[in-house]
Amino acid sequence: MSTTASPSVPTEPPKRLPPMSASRLLSLFGPFIGLLLVTLLFSIRPDVREHFLTPDNFRIVVTQTVITAIGALGMTLIIISGGIDLSVGSVLALTSVTAAIFLRGHQSPWVALLAAITLGGVVGIVNGSLITALRVTPFIVTLGTLGIARGAAKWLAQDQAVNAPPTWLNNLVATYPEPSWLIVAPGVWLTLILAVVTAVVLRATTLGRRIVAIGSNETASRLSGLRVDFLKIGIYALAGLYFGLAGGLQFGRLGMGDPTGNMGAELDVIAAVVIGGGSLSGGEGSVLGSLLGALIMALLRNGSQQIGWSDYVQDIIIGVVIIVAVALDRLRHRKPAG
Amino acid sequence: MVHTTKTLGMAAALLGLMAALAGCNHTTETGPSTGSAMPSVAPAGKSLRIAVIPKGTTHEYWKSIHAGAIKAQQELAAKGTAVEILWKGPAREDDRNAQIDVVQTFLSQKVDGIVLAPLDSQALVSPVADAAKQKVPVVIIDSALNSTDYTSFVATDNKKGGLLAGQQLAKVLGGKGKVIMIRYQQGSASTEQREAGFLDAMKAVPGITLVSADQFAGPTVDTAYKSSQNVLSRFGSQTNGIFMPNESSTRGMLLALKDAGLLGKVKFVGFDSSTDLVTALKANQLQGLVVQNPFKMGYLSLLTAVSAVKGEKFEKSIDTGVTLVTPENMNTPEIQTLLNPPIDQYLK
Repeated sequence: MSTTASPSVPTEPPKRLPPMSASRLLSLFGPFIGLLLVTLLFSIRPDVREHFLTPDNFRIVVTQTVITAIGALGMTLIIISGGIDLSVGSVLALTSVTAAIFLRGHQSPWVALLAAITLGGVVGIVNGSLITALRVTPFIVTLGTLGIARGAAKWLAQDQAVNAPPTWLNNLVATYPEPSWLIVAPGVWLTLILAVVTAVVLRATTLGRRIVAIGSNETASRLSGLRVDFLKIGIYALAGLYFGLAGGLQFGRLGMGDPTGNMGAELDVIAAVVIGGGSLSGGEGSVLGSLLGALIMALLRNGSQQIGWSDYVQDIIIGVVIIVAVALDRLRHRKPAG
Repeated sequence: MVHTTKTLGMAAALLGLMAALAGCNHTTETGPSTGSAMPSVAPAGKSLRIAVIPKGTTHEYWKSIHAGAIKAQQELAAKGTAVEILWKGPAREDDRNAQIDVVQTFLSQKVDGIVLAPLDSQALVSPVADAAKQKVPVVIIDSALNSTDYTSFVATDNKKGGLLAGQQLAKVLGGKGKVIMIRYQQGSASTEQREAGFLDAMKAVPGITLVSADQFAGPTVDTAYKSSQNVLSRFGSQTNGIFMPNESSTRGMLLALKDAGLLGKVKFVGFDSSTDLVTALKANQLQGLVVQNPFKMGYLSLLTAVSAVKGEKFEKSIDTGVTLVTPENMNTPEIQTLLNPPIDQYLK
């Protein structure tokens, strides 16, 4: 199939990079500014700064971010294509329990990790197939699979945390990695590599352009001959692989598969994408932005606890940050039009 | 056109499925009722149905309670009282709505009695009041309820447990140092009492200062791990002692201490036991675990509930005891049975 859409149908949105206008600069650096503001906020008090602005604390925060960040990469693909996936938290629990069960059964860590990734992909295929075959909105379908995957996790785990012997999987998201020249956990590097790959796929490949096209105007994409259903299943499957990997790392982090863990993680993941400039109406989203969004949220929790703010203050602040980030994003979009 | 037929086909399939399900219901409904009309309350001779509702199902602690209840069930059966245990709880320990639903569902199923570990001292008050209205006795276990509608209270003296933990931490610290306590979560009465007991013990020792005692660990090991990391990042370097008030938070703190390279360097007392925590105690990464007796709690709560249902005498309040386990005393026989309750013997 030819990739160039017929000129009469505006399938491909303005994908060529526009000149570096002020608003484009803002949208590129917006999440960075957010990160900077949050960092400054917790650096005001010298007694907090002394422990907050340290390499050790940086290590802790980036390691805590890994699972949300990998989830956010997958979610970025889905959100750009105009979809949503609410089943992420349940898939994380399901795949981490799966990894634990394989290890407990004396399988090699590779097998356990691959099992988790594969199962994540399978759930993605199920999500995508249901969405396209039943013509039900992704919100509803994945709300359903949220329950199904959580139930499956509890069933597999027999409602118990699944303990497994320690392996190198546990080192993947250890705060202090071995060997120490890695500086941060292998999982952090893995996240960065995945981010680069995802960004390249989105910006420089046909697949990436098609994902954006579906999210920008699905009808037009369909009319211009894109196999939209097939692509959608592929997008959910690909994102599912990311979620499965994140589940495998979640197992590594705790050394056990917790069927009740990661409840509500989908909201963190979606918030990260949205803070990073993703639009829930599709067609827009940034890999770098999503990563920074995830980092901002982990940093907020970390800083709030160090400063000694109560639980409720943390919740309110994170809520405010989400709304402010999205409001700024809308403002940026209005300017060039008006 | 193709689209419409596809949708129609799918709708037909769905209808078929529903019809099949309805058919199933029908047969199961008519099956048992052919013999005699089912009375709503089981008469003498029929087995008593007692619902046992834990706070959650993932912690090993609840398994011990379940095993204890089964032991009581077996003893009652030997004496001629058949009891059916209906074991069901919310999977996550902060899901108040799920637990309320479980209680209400059991009430509508007309169970004879309920054993309940309320995960919130306030949220579960109204379903327990409903039970009282329906004359279903409720035995509260593990954690207190702000109510007088229940039949009996079978639990650990949690405040005393927190006090024991505090005294042990003060002892291993030599009476001086900086101490962190991370709370479990809002609304959980049992852990709030442990925290209060611990703070009382700390106040009694002038050489000890609390550097952080107002952060929360949250319901899972993962949330406790993150919270512990964040607090340790700020205070870890100046901390000498730590207390965590339950199993998941103790486990999360162990992971965070390992990360920070502080395992064994900071004195640490935890609460409750599990295989992991006992291993850590053995390795001197924990200087103490305050251990309850969940097996006894499960055992006595079922006996009490059955007595209440049958109108026999029962205790209004039972303390099942707390014990401080240290690396020194952990190998004595009585501590060993506490740490390794005979779960496998009763739970398959």
